[in-house]
Amino acid sequence: MTETTTAPAAATTTASPATTGAPPPRRRRRVTPGRVLAWVVMILVLLVTLFPFYWMLRTALSSNGALYANATSPLPVDFSWGGFERVFGLQTTEEAIAQGGSGASIDFWLYLRNSVVVATVVTVCQVFFSAMAAYAFSRLRWRGRDTVFGVFLLSLMVPVIFTLLPNFVLVRELGLVDTLLGIMLPGLFMTPFAIFFLRQFFMNVSTEVEEAALIDGASKVRVFFSVIVPMSVGPIATIAILTYIGSWNDYFWPLMVSYTDESRVLTVALGNFNAQTPQTGPDWSGLMAATLVAALPMILLFLVFARRIVNSIGFSGIK
Amino acid sequence: MQHARRTTASLTAALAAGTLALAGCAGPGSAAAADSVVVDYWLWDANQLPAYQRCAEEFERQNPELEVRISQYGWDDYWRKLTAGFVAGAGPDVFTDHLTQYPGFAKKGLLLDLHTLDATQDVDYGGFQEGLADLWVGQDGAQYGMPKDFDTVALFYDRNMITEAGLTPDDLEGLDWNPEDGGSFEKVIAHLTVDENGVRGDEEGFDPDNVAVYGMASNGSGGTAGQTTWSWLAGATGWKFTDADVWGTEYHFDDPRVQDSLAWLFGLVEKGYMAPYEEVGTAPNPQQALGSGRAAISANGSWMLGTYANLEGVDLGIASLPSGPVGHPVSMYNGLADSVSAQSPDPEEAAQWVAFLGSDDCQRLVGEAAVVFPARPAGTEAAIEAFGEKGLDVSVFTDLVEKKQTLYFPVTEEFGAIDSMMTPIMDEIYIGDRDVSTLTEVNDRVNGLLE
Repeated sequence: MTETTTAPAAATTTASPATTGAPPPRRRRRVTPGRVLAWVVMILVLLVTLFPFYWMLRTALSSNGALYANATSPLPVDFSWGGFERVFGLQTTEEAIAQGGSGASIDFWLYLRNSVVVATVVTVCQVFFSAMAAYAFSRLRWRGRDTVFGVFLLSLMVPVIFTLLPNFVLVRELGLVDTLLGIMLPGLFMTPFAIFFLRQFFMNVSTEVEEAALIDGASKVRVFFSVIVPMSVGPIATIAILTYIGSWNDYFWPLMVSYTDESRVLTVALGNFNAQTPQTGPDWSGLMAATLVAALPMILLFLVFARRIVNSIGFSGIK
Repeated sequence: MQHARRTTASLTAALAAGTLALAGCAGPGSAAAADSVVVDYWLWDANQLPAYQRCAEEFERQNPELEVRISQYGWDDYWRKLTAGFVAGAGPDVFTDHLTQYPGFAKKGLLLDLHTLDATQDVDYGGFQEGLADLWVGQDGAQYGMPKDFDTVALFYDRNMITEAGLTPDDLEGLDWNPEDGGSFEKVIAHLTVDENGVRGDEEGFDPDNVAVYGMASNGSGGTAGQTTWSWLAGATGWKFTDADVWGTEYHFDDPRVQDSLAWLFGLVEKGYMAPYEEVGTAPNPQQALGSGRAAISANGSWMLGTYANLEGVDLGIASLPSGPVGHPVSMYNGLADSVSAQSPDPEEAAQWVAFLGSDDCQRLVGEAAVVFPARPAGTEAAIEAFGEKGLDVSVFTDLVEKKQTLYFPVTEEFGAIDSMMTPIMDEIYIGDRDVSTLTEVNDRVNGLLE
């Protein structure tokens, strides 16, 4: 009996991305003026969206000194790899300063490693714990559940800036200043948003499937891992991607906690390109190169998971 | 019930396992060598980082038992992290301090008096460039900072543009200015201004609403201090910010001399000689204006030398500020210093580093980097020489100090509050929404904050 109840559930969920992903047979549509117009508008919107990225690339490949004289030139001005070289720490500080960059040494791969470690660990842990909490809030019955959930929701209203200093003091007391764990800690176990988000999806999972599993002798934990999680792959993937991006982009907290290169993440290290003023002019080409490089992993993540994100919207409607 | 209990147990186990795994992930902490004292030093200027690293190496060679760890953060991040660091007790031992910030820190007891520390109590504070050390003496007589460098203001221009206008760089030397008609300075600015039709600002038919090249680059409204914008104009009338060089208790914005100076400067907008507020916004970029040929003359501080010198297509010239009614030019004279945090666990070791930062040895190293003018005369000399090797004659900046043609940055209590009140008011004057005479009333409010 156990076999028969859990297996179909698993089968349907694993199969569903494939079925929703396959294009349904479609009639060939005729080319009408309206469709041409729609395409033109789409292409224009696409160009408008992509132009800033092109402009970043163009500025990143320009020389700082020449930028001001040719501010409107559509092509890189006085082409130079200098911006990217500074980002990857390939220039000596003398070269960098001569080109309008900063004298700070950059250990790009170390910062990248730190960023990847922080974002990955935070994502894995936060999603895991939040999913369990969301399950408890949606499916387990215990006294005061809704009150506790209300309190969790209330904490969504507390601005991050309020918790910054208390968190910082706590991390210092724990001796975790200047460690990656210190950077990860505030978001490591849960965020109210992730719990809220997943709870809403778990509530939509049909109770029959869960009850069937329970009748077959599955424990609540087994139900969670074998029924709820597989049936919510879409929402979980969505929250994971959101968490990853949020954690990757986080700036102020890592800035507070990090004191040396050991715990510096990419965003904080690249912030140097932004913060040259008022001492000198901004290192535009370095800044743009840095922004592109820092955004690249996120763009890749979107390219790979774009379908997943769209699917997850579909999921909520299905069950 | 059975289920529920088992769930709890598994959850706890998972949690514990997760935490353990994470602890393993954490990078190596700040485990410093146990037998040496580490002095944490923060600064914001990345351009000076290499020079200070050389200082630190030299210092560590002389004091093998000490280690200096330098951290650099950009200007905005710097003050945020410093403030949070003070609150949480996780700040640096020694940090670069600014005149606008130290009165607040000193008041909260966050800085140590250098006179009370062994290494810094015998330093000859008169051995710095005139007056720099005085800026860092608190109202209680405590020395809150070891002077490190100073800056003054001059006019940057593109020689090519001057020649095109039929002038020579010599024509920019020895200009005079007054708040009534602007003197020969305004004549030069007018001549360098060109409208869309190629008509110059001092010619018949000039269109002030369609200007191609502004004679004067805008650096915004300047806020309370107007360091590079209007302080040198008001200062040249003999005006001073407050009733004392440092720790004044009364501001002088009610003085007609400063009001007339502001009226003249922002009056340039209407004449078409300077870009309006709408064009420059809250982030003015005079070096861009000069580099792109949008403006001909840009008043800016000596710390910008490197940036201006790197502008491509600009044959950089530097001229002295115009002399005013007092008979000579006047520049704001601002200085940075290194302060010791009262939270430092090793104040004596921190003081040793500060004493070295203020020594001829270190300041010469900083001067050789040709970024700023170090506060010790030996360091200043090294900087003048280093700038000279780059083909930059920086004497206009240093002459002002030698001839004492300077105006101090306003060091008073409550500067933060005053600045947040004054900045929008100055912006309004620049925009043209407010008359300078209203500053008389504003001045009462400013002085009210000081009572």
